Amino acid sequence: MTEDCYDVVVVGGGSTGTAVARDCAMRGLRTLLLERDDIASATVGTCAGMISSGLKYMDEPEIVDMCSQEVVHFNHIARHIIMKNPILTPMLEMSDLSTGGNFAEEYSKRAATRDVPPVLFLTPEDSRAIEPSLHPDIIASMYFEEFFIDPFRLCLLQALDTRVHGGEVRTYCEVLRIAKDPDSKCYSVDFYDRTTGEMGTVLTRTVVNAAGPWAPRVAKSAGATVEIRPNKGAHVIFDRRIVNVGVVTKAVDGRMIYLFPHENTTLLGTTALDSWEDPDTLVATQDEIEYLIKSIEFVVPRIREARIIRTMEGVRPLIPTWKIPEGEVSRGYEVIDHESEGKPGIYSFTGGKLVMARHMAEAVTDLVCKRLGVDEPCRTHEKPLPGNEEDVDIEELAREYGVSLHALERMRARRGTEVREILEMTREHPEWKTTICTCEPVIEAEIRYSIREEFPQTLNDLRRRVRLGTGTCQGTFCTYKAAAILAEELGLESDDYLVDILDFRAERWKGIRPVIRGEQLAQEELAQGMYACVGNLDQSDIEYEMKPWEEGM
Amino acid sequence: MSEEEAYEFVKGTLKKERITPYTEDEIPVINSVSACINCGLCINHCPVVAAVGVDVFSGPRSIAVELSRSPPEYWATADKVYLCTGCGTCREVCPKNVDIPEVVNIVRRRIFEHRPDLVPKGLHAVRETLRTHNLAFEPWADIKEKNESREMRLERLELPLVPDRHVSDAEVLFYPGCQAEERSQEVREAAKIILDHFGVNYTLLEDMTCCGLPARLIGDDATARSLTEKLKRDVLATGVRKVLTTCAGCTGNLSHISERDHWDIPTQHLLEFLVEDVGMERLAESLGKGTKHEDVTVTVHDPCHLTRHASRHIMDYALEILSLIPGVRVSASALHDSCCGGGGMVSYHSSEVANAVVSENLVAIDATGAERLVTPCPLCTAQIESNLFKAGSSVEVDDLIVFIAQMLPKE
Amino acid sequence: MHMETEVLVIGGGLAGLVAGTRAAEAGHRVLLVQKGHGATAYSSGAFDVIGYLPDALEPVANPVEGLSVLAQVYPLHPYSIAGFPVDVESGGESAVVLALVSETVEWLKDRLDKTPAALSGGLDSNLVAMTVLGTTKPTCLLQKSMVSIPEMEGEEDGVLLFAGVRGYADFAPGAAAKVFLRDRMMNKKYPQKIAHCQVRVSPSGTDYNISGVEIARHLDHPGSIDSLAKELAVYIDQFGATDVALPPVLGIQNAISNKEALEERLGVRVFELLGLPPSVPGLRLQNSLEQMYLESGGALLRGHEVVSYTMEGDRLISVQTKGPSREIQISAQAFVLATGKFIGGGLSGDKDGVREIVFDLMSVTGEFVSAEEASPSRSTSKLAVSPLGQPVLSNGVSVDSFLRPVKRNGLEWTTNLFSAGSIIAGYNYATEKSGLGVAATTGYTAALRVTEYLKEVAQNE
Repeated sequence: MTEDCYDVVVVGGGSTGTAVARDCAMRGLRTLLLERDDIASATVGTCAGMISSGLKYMDEPEIVDMCSQEVVHFNHIARHIIMKNPILTPMLEMSDLSTGGNFAEEYSKRAATRDVPPVLFLTPEDSRAIEPSLHPDIIASMYFEEFFIDPFRLCLLQALDTRVHGGEVRTYCEVLRIAKDPDSKCYSVDFYDRTTGEMGTVLTRTVVNAAGPWAPRVAKSAGATVEIRPNKGAHVIFDRRIVNVGVVTKAVDGRMIYLFPHENTTLLGTTALDSWEDPDTLVATQDEIEYLIKSIEFVVPRIREARIIRTMEGVRPLIPTWKIPEGEVSRGYEVIDHESEGKPGIYSFTGGKLVMARHMAEAVTDLVCKRLGVDEPCRTHEKPLPGNEEDVDIEELAREYGVSLHALERMRARRGTEVREILEMTREHPEWKTTICTCEPVIEAEIRYSIREEFPQTLNDLRRRVRLGTGTCQGTFCTYKAAAILAEELGLESDDYLVDILDFRAERWKGIRPVIRGEQLAQEELAQGMYACVGNLDQSDIEYEMKPWEEGM
Repeated sequence: MSEEEAYEFVKGTLKKERITPYTEDEIPVINSVSACINCGLCINHCPVVAAVGVDVFSGPRSIAVELSRSPPEYWATADKVYLCTGCGTCREVCPKNVDIPEVVNIVRRRIFEHRPDLVPKGLHAVRETLRTHNLAFEPWADIKEKNESREMRLERLELPLVPDRHVSDAEVLFYPGCQAEERSQEVREAAKIILDHFGVNYTLLEDMTCCGLPARLIGDDATARSLTEKLKRDVLATGVRKVLTTCAGCTGNLSHISERDHWDIPTQHLLEFLVEDVGMERLAESLGKGTKHEDVTVTVHDPCHLTRHASRHIMDYALEILSLIPGVRVSASALHDSCCGGGGMVSYHSSEVANAVVSENLVAIDATGAERLVTPCPLCTAQIESNLFKAGSSVEVDDLIVFIAQMLPKE
Repeated sequence: MHMETEVLVIGGGLAGLVAGTRAAEAGHRVLLVQKGHGATAYSSGAFDVIGYLPDALEPVANPVEGLSVLAQVYPLHPYSIAGFPVDVESGGESAVVLALVSETVEWLKDRLDKTPAALSGGLDSNLVAMTVLGTTKPTCLLQKSMVSIPEMEGEEDGVLLFAGVRGYADFAPGAAAKVFLRDRMMNKKYPQKIAHCQVRVSPSGTDYNISGVEIARHLDHPGSIDSLAKELAVYIDQFGATDVALPPVLGIQNAISNKEALEERLGVRVFELLGLPPSVPGLRLQNSLEQMYLESGGALLRGHEVVSYTMEGDRLISVQTKGPSREIQISAQAFVLATGKFIGGGLSGDKDGVREIVFDLMSVTGEFVSAEEASPSRSTSKLAVSPLGQPVLSNGVSVDSFLRPVKRNGLEWTTNLFSAGSIIAGYNYATEKSGLGVAATTGYTAALRVTEYLKEVAQNE
């Protein structure tokens, strides 16, 4: 029964999966994206968001070319969620320069296309004038510019754009089995809907496996094989911008690590350890945390004075190349056509980086279209993502609606032109101008808008969309307020309301616990005081489901 | 590109991205702000929040966890950050003593640099005065008129005119501050009377120039620095071992800059000098003889710049001194240490906010039944006096230094 | 600048203010130095003595029972140490601890009686308070503007109305109503008819971004309770409400009289819920404690932090305090350390361990092993919120039976330094629900020990 058949089911709602779904939908394919958790909940949700032109790939010039071009595309389609990342690479010894050599040349060749300067060299005095926290003994530094993109917003906007073009996106649906449907030429995809607890099945002509670290598992469920080299990486996050520009330096073991000011925090990353642990149980380890801090301490000696608010840990699905150090594994990507295994129309990805997501999507969508006999060009690099249509005058809007400038500016950074729709909601409900998350800040109207338009199921999902709880207090104060709004909007039962609070506290704690020290101890005493001492939630009788990382004390 | 060109280019990018590197003395402030745990105790005590509500002034809590975290967006804080009176109540109650007043200055500095169009117009006017005259108030054009005004005030207050003192071997420098120099001249005169009475070997500056606090509050770092550099030069050239002032704002600011710029001599409010150097015994003797304040109930206002920027115990001194004056009864106001709204340069651009801040104080002052209010700060004096007057109150306001001088026996 | 006093209390939360007041009442000259406010100012309005025994999943039947068990089974719990019988004939550990806590509680109730933080309740039964989340918790005393749930449980036809304030996000009446209803159904208790509404209290004229303190300040003004009463009346009528639960914003000074006025006008029971920081009940408590202390004759120095000290032999002689830009040296005969935990700033931690800040005293974990080399992240539970709590919050200083911090060899660090409040190790106030009770009892006891010490010193001279 082919009329109920999708043209493509995309498994995985990360940067690649949402890009694929968008491209497919834009080309008129009947598209369904199935994501077992929330959009951007895995690998892309734990990365720094850098869309780099290829710091790592200088030995693969074609990849550098591709990345460079993709940065240009991103700047066109997603300008409103992109931030500039000026970077200094301070050098303490002459040997620090040699790592740069090839990089500077390759970078500078393509700099003009991305509208950034070529690699520049600064004197130590000038370097320290730009960044006073640098070590007094540096001998020089290299300067270049990269870009960040908000990874959550990118994935979400790609998902929303998929819907705009008629595609469907379903979160909390875990694919369990992909089999040839006996009655048609399609595949049947069985999945488990975690929100309803029900099983579902759809038919599809093609399947794109963009499940990242779970790609092997999804392939297996289709009777196909995908191998990846899973490699985990940690980040340490500071409470505010503690450096003015990004700082890149050699780590303890000679790898390169970075300290990047990012929106209103600073990210320190990253490690790269081969790891076969269940990605859902991973938390940053003491080794990784100290590795990162010690490494940056060489060039930013006062790093330990800064306040760490949390850590995050994710897994990269690298192309499976063995017996070489992780740093030498290609950062390009591969598309596997499982026709060779007797599964025509099933495609899987290995490898890839955030900056390549659109390119990866184009490659596989070309294959899918060819297979289905659809002749549509890719336009994902041309059409702007939602919110990017034009500039927004924050000062004017602040005056008109009576909302603080800063709240609007932060909202604009997330949403571009959507700011206007959100503010419109406050005409009928002025009380929705109330600030719910004071760290960011986030007003109630934005939270309600996101719940209504962007399908979050939990506070954690909301966090990805509006940055709730990502500030210095890590959700201590916004959790219970936002939970009430979520419960009201979704019509949740009281158990769910309390479970939402506990789940979000658990999720934040996951990142805080490995690195808790200094000011975060006082923060945690306060959180315990509120939720345990006053709220008595530690003694609540609601059914709390242990999270994967909480099991096994 | 050469290295110089590279540096210029990078500076240009930073300017475009609106990033200003933190300076050495800003880093401890930023570290202190990092300690904020978002508890909001400060909101419960902030006098501006009490006056206008959290919606208008999101408060010290938001300044700590929100407004100070994203340097390129500092300009977006302009609708809130100028409403802070700098009283420091937040810092005092904060479990972590987060230095909000200083972080407000850091934010204002960056707005001034990157978006001067968002700096309130009233502040630009003060800046002009500072840059033209090195004073926060427009000085008298005609020195004769200035002296006439001074004489009128002294006559009304029944105070003698003590000649100015400029000597090269003085022990202490008396620094009246811009307001006492150009407006509330009676405060300057009263201090001279007191110093003269106790035989203090003091001198004045030949060229009395601003300590720079208004420039700091406007965010004009360059002007603030040039003023403090000049003042340091002039002060050290006198060879004095201590600087005394009668303005609470100057006390707080001078204490800060003398440490920051290594003056290596202490700065004090005259009250501190009287109690610690002149001593209670001599004070009792002199104040016990005067007849001016025979039978009066006073209430005291604690200037924030003394209590919260210098030390609380200085106002204990004020009470101790008042207790030496026979015939003076002190009736404490429930809001004696609550900000008068005169600070932070708020009254220069949002006077309705500044006045809303002081309005609760007025009620408490009224409830004391006192006839007079005394306070050792010309700024607080002016703010409270004008608001009491507008409210139709009969309570009169004196600078405490003037009040004390009036008690000294006339020679 | 130098000051001299007889008893110096370091720390101005409940523990310090109780210690200071008691010492002043005993006739000593007391100076209390306060760096800032602390956890006391976050108080929800509940005064916990002992809600749950360590590791328990059921609340104690009443504080008397809880304290008895603690005294017998947990000899290193601060209650037990404070009540350590100096005279073995006094009737056993439990009796002494009970007597001491009871004396403290009655004393504090009396001193706070005419203040906005006046408390009701007693040791013989646990009250059950309701929070703004709709959850319930056992506690010993409650501010008089609040009510214990069992008082409502007799009325089968009772209708409880949760009334929120539009634009005040710290209380969501709909969510709270649902949570509380579930609790009632699960426990088969009344009232089971629950309603919710939003009223308008607009101190600055807007309906958004309203903070609790603004509402409370507004309601302190005479006459302002009238419009609130009018709005509530409409909903009370609509739902047939017999009880109204409000967030704790009925006033800073006048909450109790406002509650009574509303009850009189509306003919229903009206009460405040326990609130979360920045809470107005905490403000009432902090203000009232400071007033109590000042009225007892103590002196208060705000805005100063102890940064160094001098010792002579086995006695502490003086401390150096730093204010915003002045330093004051304070010498005293006896000292009380009541600096709080991580919030108050008594303890601080880095990646390697936890340290006591003022005197660098030996810091221990809740298991009484050294905390100085115990990485905080390893002293935590994987579970964010659970009855296990977070072990690192049991860290602090170890004290002897006179509440004096001890050194590694178990002997007192100095003869004249005493300690009170959450700086003391060996208990978890968040899971036990014992914070203010321990603070008050150890503060009260520390003052008693100070008096004994000073008497001894005077006799020896």
